[in-house]
Amino acid sequence: MATMLSVKEVAASFGKLRALDGVTLSVGEGSVTLLIGPNGSGKTTLVNVITGFQRPDGGHVFYGEREITGWSPQRVYRVGITRTFQVPSLFGKLTTIQNLLVADKTNPGESFLKSHIRRLWINHERETVEKASRILQTLGLAEQSDKPVSVLSGGQMKLTELGRALMSDAKLYLLDEPISGVNPTLALEIFARIVSLRKQFGVTFLIIEHRLDIALKYVDYVNVMASGKLIAAGTPTQVVSDSKVIEAYLAR
Amino acid sequence: MALGQVILFIVDLLALFSIYLIINLGLNLQQGITGIPNFGLVLAVAGGAYITASLSTRLAIYLLNVHTNLDPIINNVSVLQLVNPILRSSPWLSTGLLALFLIIGGASGALMGLISSAPAVRLREDYLAITLLAFGEILNVVGTGYDPLIGGPPGTSLPDIFGWAGQYRFYWATLIMFLVAVIIFVYIERLVRTPFGRVLRAIRDNENTARSLGKDITRYRMSSILIGSILCGIAGALWALYSGAVTPSYDRFDYTFLPWLMILLGGIGSNIGTVVGTLVFVTLDELIDYFKYAFAPFLPFNVVWLNYLLLGLLTIFILIYRPEGIVREKWTSVPAAPPPAGEAKPG
Repeated sequence: MATMLSVKEVAASFGKLRALDGVTLSVGEGSVTLLIGPNGSGKTTLVNVITGFQRPDGGHVFYGEREITGWSPQRVYRVGITRTFQVPSLFGKLTTIQNLLVADKTNPGESFLKSHIRRLWINHERETVEKASRILQTLGLAEQSDKPVSVLSGGQMKLTELGRALMSDAKLYLLDEPISGVNPTLALEIFARIVSLRKQFGVTFLIIEHRLDIALKYVDYVNVMASGKLIAAGTPTQVVSDSKVIEAYLAR
Repeated sequence: MALGQVILFIVDLLALFSIYLIINLGLNLQQGITGIPNFGLVLAVAGGAYITASLSTRLAIYLLNVHTNLDPIINNVSVLQLVNPILRSSPWLSTGLLALFLIIGGASGALMGLISSAPAVRLREDYLAITLLAFGEILNVVGTGYDPLIGGPPGTSLPDIFGWAGQYRFYWATLIMFLVAVIIFVYIERLVRTPFGRVLRAIRDNENTARSLGKDITRYRMSSILIGSILCGIAGALWALYSGAVTPSYDRFDYTFLPWLMILLGGIGSNIGTVVGTLVFVTLDELIDYFKYAFAPFLPFNVVWLNYLLLGLLTIFILIYRPEGIVREKWTSVPAAPPPAGEAKPG
């Protein structure tokens, strides 16, 4: 399996706190990889470094063969990596469908000059609306489509964020706790959907999630972090029986 | 009030309303739609007014082929005595000059917007606000201290491009300002409904997420400040041409604080709200101006303070009872998706 994303010796700190202390891991192309670890172990910081939201103090990030260390978030998105946030980060005064429409990469109407000539973008816009409606349909959000996102429930917000990520046609998705606050049935559906997306389009997922009861069934590979370091990696069965993992994360 | 007075009152009101509507639409685009707290509006308004005033007499001499050795700013009155009769006799020439001056006003506003935003847009919202606030003060200092701009503290007059209307000058000037305001309203209202406008609102709602979705937020913010500043510049130029003269007295109170109050009153983020807020405020303010002396015998203080009392009361009223303003931001609709392929068209 080719490598989609590899992180080499990445370090990052907040003042004196070493949030990432030389992390090395890789994500195989077309895999669903889980990233777990106790709170404060540096999982979200790692995602921030990969997606350009935080500059690493050292180390390298590769997307395929290409080094993307220190790229801006815009550039990282355009090259085919999409992330979601742990806390739902929606555009509060836009409707659900508009939240999805913003994720489109190639809408000519988003350019100031071209926005003046409706004919240049209206067809693209209509197609984007259609695509967004389809995604909302599969996520069970069709009825919420024209409501402002501020009236959605926490779970629906999570789903909207996932839907928005799917709009990007990215090759690699970094999902930060996609099912926290989502009811169990829906959570299972989300993971089932992730797996089917992978099958359908060959896309890759790196997922941070604490709810192992649901997540472990669907993933191929698990990376475990603790105190800014990678402490274990392997298949779900290997990892849950690893003594270091049990000590740092699963026990208690 | 006699009918004549009522008409005068309304014309006056309309003139002020038009000017403020243009400025407020510019502010609403920046603060209401894009989330840029521009506390330096006065810079673009004064820029439009001062630069247009500074260039107007010079350009008029050049374009109308008036031969004179007098300085257009220092000997302003004498030069205008040569220019104004020509303009009075030709409405078309005057209107052409008006168009040119509005372009100059808009460009000056854009220049001011560029100067203030270039270092500022990269800052976070709160720092941005302070930086823009400070920039707003610069131009009055220049206007007062550097005579060739607008003649220092006494100010300078502009060619009277509405002179052809004779005794109906103010009616025509008001009508033209109102038309400009309406055109700008329609333009901005359409702009915010395009995908471009949607990205602006997305950036306002969540800057980081917008970045994570590949939007170049610096560029979008610049565009927003530029468009807003062009509008402010046009308003400044129009007001200078309407009043016929400028002095370096465009202050933060009139051209930053009041616009903010009006868009908060109307409902921030909504262009219709901006219209309502502007109309309500300007009307109240003008009514007080008109009637305040009637209250003089009953009030234990000078009636000039009534306008300020209105501001204070309105601010408190907005904050307590309608923090979202009179008109709430509307959810704009999205265009319908194309019909599925193969589906027969009805009929």
